[in-house]
Amino acid sequence: MITASDRGTQFAEALHAAQGEIAWFDSWDELWDFADSLSDDVPVVSPAAHQFLQRGDLPDAIEPLRSIADRAVGITVATLGVAETGSLLLVERAPIDRAVSLLTRHLIVAVGEDDLVDELTDGFRWLAEQPRAAAYATFVTGPSRTADIERSLTIGVQGPSRLTAAVLT
Amino acid sequence: MITDFKQRYEHAVADPDLRPRLLAFQRSWRESRDAQVSRLEQRTERSFDELRRDFASVKDATLERIDDYIAEFRANAEATGAVVIELSTAEDAVEYIAGVCKARGIDLVVKSKSMVSEEIELNDELAERGITAIETDLGEWLLQLAEQRPSHLVMPAIHQKRQYVAEILGEELGREFDPDDIPAMVASARQGLRRHYLAAGAGLTGANALVAETGSIMVVTNEGNMRLATSLPDVHFVTAGIEKLIPTWSDAERQLQLLPRSATAQTLSTYTTCITGAQPGKEMHIILLDNGRREMREDSAIGAALRCIRCGACANVCPPYQIVGGHTFGHIYTGAIGLVNTSFHHDIEDAAGPQGLCVSCGACETVCPVAIPLPRQILSIRRKATESGHAPRWERWLLRAWSMPQVFRAVMKLGSVASSVARALGLVRRDHIRLPLPRRLSWRSIPAIPAQTGSRLIAKRTPQPTLAPSPAAGSTVDLFAQCLADRLMPVTVDASALLIEAGGASVNVPSDQQCCGLPAFDAGDWETARRMARATIAVLSRTDHQIVTPATSCVISMRDHWPQLFRDEPETLARADAIADRVHDLAAWLDGPGRLPDGCLEREGASSWTAHRFCQSSNRGEPGARIALLVERLTGETAAPLEEPEVCCGFGGLTSIAAPEVGEGILDRKLDCVAASGCETLLTNNPGCALHLRAGAVARGAAHDTLHYADYLAARLPDDS
Ligand code: SF4
Repeated sequence: MITASDRGTQFAEALHAAQGEIAWFDSWDELWDFADSLSDDVPVVSPAAHQFLQRGDLPDAIEPLRSIADRAVGITVATLGVAETGSLLLVERAPIDRAVSLLTRHLIVAVGEDDLVDELTDGFRWLAEQPRAAAYATFVTGPSRTADIERSLTIGVQGPSRLTAAVLT
Repeated sequence: MITDFKQRYEHAVADPDLRPRLLAFQRSWRESRDAQVSRLEQRTERSFDELRRDFASVKDATLERIDDYIAEFRANAEATGAVVIELSTAEDAVEYIAGVCKARGIDLVVKSKSMVSEEIELNDELAERGITAIETDLGEWLLQLAEQRPSHLVMPAIHQKRQYVAEILGEELGREFDPDDIPAMVASARQGLRRHYLAAGAGLTGANALVAETGSIMVVTNEGNMRLATSLPDVHFVTAGIEKLIPTWSDAERQLQLLPRSATAQTLSTYTTCITGAQPGKEMHIILLDNGRREMREDSAIGAALRCIRCGACANVCPPYQIVGGHTFGHIYTGAIGLVNTSFHHDIEDAAGPQGLCVSCGACETVCPVAIPLPRQILSIRRKATESGHAPRWERWLLRAWSMPQVFRAVMKLGSVASSVARALGLVRRDHIRLPLPRRLSWRSIPAIPAQTGSRLIAKRTPQPTLAPSPAAGSTVDLFAQCLADRLMPVTVDASALLIEAGGASVNVPSDQQCCGLPAFDAGDWETARRMARATIAVLSRTDHQIVTPATSCVISMRDHWPQLFRDEPETLARADAIADRVHDLAAWLDGPGRLPDGCLEREGASSWTAHRFCQSSNRGEPGARIALLVERLTGETAAPLEEPEVCCGFGGLTSIAAPEVGEGILDRKLDCVAASGCETLLTNNPGCALHLRAGAVARGAAHDTLHYADYLAARLPDDS
């Protein structure tokens, strides 16, 4: 029987292996303080995360991309975290949510400790049962990367260069 | 534009950086991939072979009922607002995409990586129709800027040097780049491409899988460009071959267990994206392309190639790929799979050139995550190319001559006379003739042909007394000397006989032996191969003795090639099968029916040795391939460790004649490993490989000796005879 804390440890290890970071928070307030301390610039918050946080910059309705692109810190939420691979499942039907998770430099993804599952199989099972979620869903495993120039691994290409899973206990 | 094969080949072998770069890539990939695979095996408590066969059977079952799955996929995708269109040719696909763009007034398309779009040469075709397509995957973008095409399925720009990348980026973005600052060059893509996403009317992606149960696509990427290309523009095109269909999400997960581990040696890529249907206010067009795929499915030898998940692993272990790279080893699809599918998606001319580069070592099949029998498929395509007149003329003549015993013997006789003359003139050193050869050929010395054949040597001496009776003691064994060994390595043939006799069996060497047909089979010339095989079958059918040969390759030929050659001749097939049942590789014999006891060849003053196993048999897991274990068991000595023991030596039959640079490059890789082992003697098990390895070692003045293991063992027999 895998306990919740084992799962958290496994998740952390797998995420580290994928060059991601992890932090634990008791509340959304704590998470916000952490995110806000990372840069002088105010974090930009996806509409999905804003429901819970109720603060931070929402993307501009008129020029959403300009208000998001290359901002220092972005915050969004994951539906599930997968302990086996360190992946976060982002369900992002709205392009604006995707823009936050793709165009900011340091992405913080909130995930409930209770929403960690053991294996990728569990993630896919969930997806198969949620046809609406599958409209646009992504398992994100670490920051974006490439090895296209002389196989030299470079973190941070067109997506974020840092990724922190913020686990809410 | 793809230049002709000869030009591509010459360009590749003239590039001094390509080999070391690809060698480093192959080695590091192998290490990380093996670690990933063994972790997966531990996690799942199942072997890689079980896992890949499982997923392969999912793919096979899906392909079997492909139209049902397409219908299911279509119904589900269309219910969520996507347009699904099945098209049969590359032209149809281009016209469709261009048509949608024209109707919407779209003149800029951003692309995420799609091999199908390469297959239909979409960028050029759209450009002709006034539509610009921009690649957004970093590697693909760099290729587009350089007007090149991918040289690898997963690492498209693996052939480019960073200095070159700095140059082309500098030109495109109008500022200088430091070639040693790779992060800065990578970062430039973020800025350089951003404006295109915003301006594009459509985004185009491929799909790693099409999931029928929900009508979804699954795409695996690392950079994030695919998510941008599908989020910003209003129209999303998906180009995918029909073979990408899988029934369910749980199948998708199985695919994911195998794909990133085999492709980039990652547990999972950064982004695994699932998209179902058109997004609100946007369009999604899913193009299911046939372009020769149904024809592949109907071909019983080739159908399994449709399981391919485009991981690139088959190129990552391919020795000739390491020498020439993907622009030469393949057409648009590269690596082993490119040698198979090109003739279906493109023309047989496009497929023919690279065929001769494959050394048939079988490495590709061992790592393919969907267990495609690639080596066998390549031979089948090669045959098609040869039969449609695409084999070089010299090759046809050479094989014809080889298949005629009188000609073969006369040439060898002439060679041995010439060799004696050379010897008299002092031109022979370490049994090789020293001639001033052009650079292209000087990497391999020419072996002097001894005056006597192996069969003669055996006939002239008294039998070796029994050392220890084996299960076969008292019986008579037919020795199949092998055409090359009999003439060029007579001592090895004799040594094999001595070892059989040491186990108490007597040796009969059937007269009029000839080639088993392997070189012709490998070259795709089945007609000549049949002629050679028939003659050998006649010779070996004279008795019902067990048959032993020091030539590992001929055992494969008899067991594996003959049934293919005589599929439609039941009588010959029955005789061929009977021989295949009686034939033993010498090493397997000495461990089996002719087993010699442990330590019976233990001697004082052991030299240090290591063993190179014939790649084809070791990649197929044949027991006879474990020669190091045999020699250790009989002599009580220990082999020096050898890196990459299973990698080919570069002999590859006719490849080392047709593409000498390939033979040389692979041989170099092998001899470097041998040198690093520090051994005094290199043992090997196949005469062709032994000759090749020895000739190469002599040419480079290597310190070690090269022996067939039979020579090494026989030298340890007591000399009381
Ligand atoms: S043939 Fe096998 S190894 Fe080669 S790319 Fe396809 S799946 Fe990968």
